[in-house]
Amino acid sequence: MKRIIKYFLIPALMLIIFNACNHKEEHPGWVYMPDMMYSEAYSAYSENPNFEDGKTNQPPVQGTIARGKAPYPYERTFQGQQSAGKELHNPLEANEENLAMGKEQYRIFCASCHGEQGKGDGHLYTSKLFTAKPTSLVDDYVQEKPDGEIYHVITMGSLSGLMGAHGAQISPGERWKIIHYVKNGLSENK
Amino acid sequence: MDDSHSKIRILGFKGVTKLSLLLFINLMLLSSFNLPAQNARQGKKLFQECAACHTIGGGRLVGPDLKGVNERRDKEWLYSFIRNSQAMIQAGDPIAVELFNEYNKVPMASYDYTDEQIESILTYISAKSEGKEVEDAAPETSKETEESGETVSEKADKEIALQEEMAKHELERDRNYSPAFWISILLLVLSIFDLAVTKFIKAKFVNVIVIIITGVIVVEITVREAIALGRQEGYSPEQPIWFSHKVHVQQNKIDCRYCHHTVDDSKHAGFPSAQLCMNCHNVVKEGSRTGKTEIAKIYDAIENNKPIEWVKVHNLPDHVYFSHAQHTNIGQIDCAVCHGPVEEMDKVKQLSDLSMGWCVNCHRETNVTQFETNTFYKHYTELHEKLKSGEIKEVTVQDIGGNDCQKCHY
Repeated sequence: MKRIIKYFLIPALMLIIFNACNHKEEHPGWVYMPDMMYSEAYSAYSENPNFEDGKTNQPPVQGTIARGKAPYPYERTFQGQQSAGKELHNPLEANEENLAMGKEQYRIFCASCHGEQGKGDGHLYTSKLFTAKPTSLVDDYVQEKPDGEIYHVITMGSLSGLMGAHGAQISPGERWKIIHYVKNGLSENK
Repeated sequence: MDDSHSKIRILGFKGVTKLSLLLFINLMLLSSFNLPAQNARQGKKLFQECAACHTIGGGRLVGPDLKGVNERRDKEWLYSFIRNSQAMIQAGDPIAVELFNEYNKVPMASYDYTDEQIESILTYISAKSEGKEVEDAAPETSKETEESGETVSEKADKEIALQEEMAKHELERDRNYSPAFWISILLLVLSIFDLAVTKFIKAKFVNVIVIIITGVIVVEITVREAIALGRQEGYSPEQPIWFSHKVHVQQNKIDCRYCHHTVDDSKHAGFPSAQLCMNCHNVVKEGSRTGKTEIAKIYDAIENNKPIEWVKVHNLPDHVYFSHAQHTNIGQIDCAVCHGPVEEMDKVKQLSDLSMGWCVNCHRETNVTQFETNTFYKHYTELHEKLKSGEIKEVTVQDIGGNDCQKCHY
């Protein structure tokens, strides 16, 4: 009996204790009740065997439109951009609140390339990660464009493909607010 | 100098004139060689604006590939096209009209360049067309360097503070009580055994003291480890792509919300899609520290349409409801309050323990910033009256029911 304790039980105990208290950074640690910690339901980004593509996050069912969303009919071509410029109009007022919100959104999504002042001198360009100069937003070229064309470029990206589509990141309302800021807030920096 | 002097002496007067003539020609050649080089450098800088639509030898973009454009068109045509292409098209210039139609009728913007500037751009294009590399223009000494010099000490202070905070967490994670726990158990068992059976130590109080001390240590460690159960403080798993927040946030100054853009409207802060990475990585194809291998994984994911399987670091148990939008959008809480200095991390690590006590404490201490302005809170009439009468000075999250059980557990 003593031999069993000496040669088997003690090392086994040691192993358990040493393992249990070892906080490795690759391991999330142990839990009391796994059934309450880990969900039975699939979480947003988890795998899911019930769908063909194996993802829980599904695109909207074909032929349906999510609440508050509208399909975007214009293509990423020059003609698409021009018709967007003619047909889309800024539904929001350029009041102080919208400008302030537009400024914040501009800082997050645009300033890295186009610069805080909108002169096309964002950090990614001045630090030489981008070799092409981002378009200056305070020059007449952009300032004279109709709001709809700017909306189109934010949504679908630029014609050259150097600016990617930001439609998935920025909600329509926020896009219009950014445009108000570009037209009314930035132009002061010219 | 000595060599040339001796040469002059040997050559005599005629030789000197010949030599000076040679030198003069040499100098002329050098300067004429230098001028375009300088021009090309200036042109390279200016071409960055053209690069949005044109490449040199990289194929057509929005506009045509400009490789060898100096041979294709004469100078005057190029000058006027750069300055105002639309006027040329309206005037019916055959080449301009043909180009306009070929490139989907996208007009080229007009540029108010001087003759010199256009010349430098064309020099750069011809140099690049021949496959020559052009150096960058000399950097302008700007005020920026001076400005940043002033804040160096501030930055250093901040960095030291951050490092200390990280080190503290490092210690917390590295705690390993196993040896202490094991030795205490051993001593505890031995002294109880001795007290009851072998009676090897005659003075019983020695045994009793040992039992008390080791007993306290064992209980203390057990309690600590039991509390740590179910918490993931210090968790820092390997990710499928060596993605560094330090490079993206600190070095490249990209806002958290650029990638985690659903944080203000959704329960989840959101993992960016691979397509979002391409907003920058269509141009940036090489990392400063990992080269092409890590960035290539994004292209691979997009081409083969397979998801990048990021490992979630900050996990809450399923019996807790937590919404990012409520905290960042309404509460105006900064990301770093819970996630720590992520901009300092190459590999993300969980710094807060995300325990219930930690949540509840913050709810006790944090004021509701929009209590007066947000109409959602107008129904808390009693609190509004108390605020007006001065009975209370501020409203914490706990006051509006933030610590009620069903706020998070339902």
